[in-house]
Amino acid sequence: MTAPVVVCSWTGIREEPPEETEAALTLGRSVSAGLGVGLVWLVVGPAPQDCAEVAARHGVGEIEVISDPKLSTGLADSFVEAVCRFLGDHPAGLVLFSQTFDTRLVAPLVAGRLGASVVMNALDVAVEGDGLEVTAAAFGGDTRVVYRAATGRPCVVALLANSVVPEPASSPSSPTVSEVPVDLSEVHERVRVLDPARAEGPRLEDAEIIVAGGRGLGSPQNYKLVEQLAEALGGMAAASRPIVDDGWIDSSRQVGLTGKITRPALYLAAGISGATQHMVGCSAAKTIVAVNSDPDAPIFRHARYGIVADCNEVLPELVRAVTQVSDSHD
Amino acid sequence: MRIVVFAKEVLDPDAVGAYAVSGGLVVDDDGNITQSTIPRLMNGYDEQAIEAALRLKDSGLECTVVVASIGSDQTAMLRHALSLGADEVVAIEPPEGPMDCHVVASILVAWVASVGGADLVLCGRQASDDDQGVVPALVSVGLGMPLVTLARSVEMPGLGQPVQVVRVTPDGDEKVEVDLPAVVTVSSELGEPRYPTMPQKMAARKVNPPVLTTQELAVGAGGLEPAVVVARQFVPTLKGDCEIIVGEGPAQLADELVARLVENKLIKAGR
Repeated sequence: MTAPVVVCSWTGIREEPPEETEAALTLGRSVSAGLGVGLVWLVVGPAPQDCAEVAARHGVGEIEVISDPKLSTGLADSFVEAVCRFLGDHPAGLVLFSQTFDTRLVAPLVAGRLGASVVMNALDVAVEGDGLEVTAAAFGGDTRVVYRAATGRPCVVALLANSVVPEPASSPSSPTVSEVPVDLSEVHERVRVLDPARAEGPRLEDAEIIVAGGRGLGSPQNYKLVEQLAEALGGMAAASRPIVDDGWIDSSRQVGLTGKITRPALYLAAGISGATQHMVGCSAAKTIVAVNSDPDAPIFRHARYGIVADCNEVLPELVRAVTQVSDSHD
Repeated sequence: MRIVVFAKEVLDPDAVGAYAVSGGLVVDDDGNITQSTIPRLMNGYDEQAIEAALRLKDSGLECTVVVASIGSDQTAMLRHALSLGADEVVAIEPPEGPMDCHVVASILVAWVASVGGADLVLCGRQASDDDQGVVPALVSVGLGMPLVTLARSVEMPGLGQPVQVVRVTPDGDEKVEVDLPAVVTVSSELGEPRYPTMPQKMAARKVNPPVLTTQELAVGAGGLEPAVVVARQFVPTLKGDCEIIVGEGPAQLADELVARLVENKLIKAGR
């Protein structure tokens, strides 16, 4: 295999977190070294200001920028067309995306157009002989599946958030920067936005402190305890999937594989068992605290601190204790 | 109009999760979970895709809802689809050898072509076994249809009109429209699927869903060659360094925890 590893990032309507792009560059570098091929960073949409600096830090050989104004709309057809044309002219062995809401849609479309193999929810890519093995989360994260990609066709991989720790290259590179001319004037966007999403207020993804509630709360009324503690801590309230599915809480508060991927300093899980599908959304938290009446709940295997008790009894006391500490003077 | 829904039979993800957590999940050398005690059921998102199709029908739209599934012994699952209100069902016997999402998509594309096309293809957002969620995208490419993902609702003002989809995005709901034919994936936010009534169940029990073989379909060249094969499957290990706070009653437990959070500068004393 001589075709390079291409890390593809898209600055569409929603920002891709820079640490996720760097995680993809870190993994891309290790695969390109393993295969003895080059590392290319394909920047789709307006290039980030510090793009050359980031690329150098990660040992990128070439930066290719496709910056047609159509690519800033966040719509899929222009993106897929642009990336497929680039990859048609510059075949890649591995095309690596960091998995976001937007790339979850477009990465498989690119793979379909290229006849490439495709693996989503990836945690790692390893060089095995002359081919690639991709490890991905399955069954909501309860298991890992290792896929062996067929040789002789490109492989498209979307890397799950928080799966690779970004690390700079041992020696920085001096990447070349090229603007890729792609004429997208003929591309007709088949999906039309009638009413765009409007982010209201702070986002869970940006929260430093999150208090999340689950079925252990027992009833929808008790969710207010979660909200009260979140307020006392100056954080945000979140939820696990079961109580969202049961209609207690809006899905905009859902943390997990099919919800938000968060990375707070403190994540306090109340009445949440810790199913892997939930943990995918909070495992990057610096400190996880669990309150659960079941001492065998998997959440305790992820937590730094645990309280084995009914969260409905502990939460009001936590609100009191936090308020006392906040009101005290050093 | 013809609405096609793809349904996949999966191992009950809750049962797999329970076995994985207890350390008792049995996986063979090929990466297959072999426990016969794990129930097989229709992928929950696919059931919601059927629900989305039935809601369109309920809205007065003149349409036929066809549910197709690839797999052996799909009778129970397809009867369930019939009892929910599907007009037609079909099982497609899988080819010999391993299947990946490319193979599945190639077969589904060939089947859609064999029945004269579809106006709307509805799928669950992902299958709750492999969670890949790429078959709808590959099918949309194969059929040359646009793809709209993660629908909370799917509505059509009338025949020949574009379909309007409310998508669940990280920034809240987004409303889009797309001309048919199109592929739309359905998310859990669509809400609970309906339950079949007893008479519907009884009626469905009398139906033997037709079974096609892959050989009967004109699958495109290379369509049955998988692009990825499963090398292995395993349960990840967890580190686990949890300090269980001890104390007399909720008040003391709370004080002890908060003291540790302050100590670690996770929360600040004083404002």
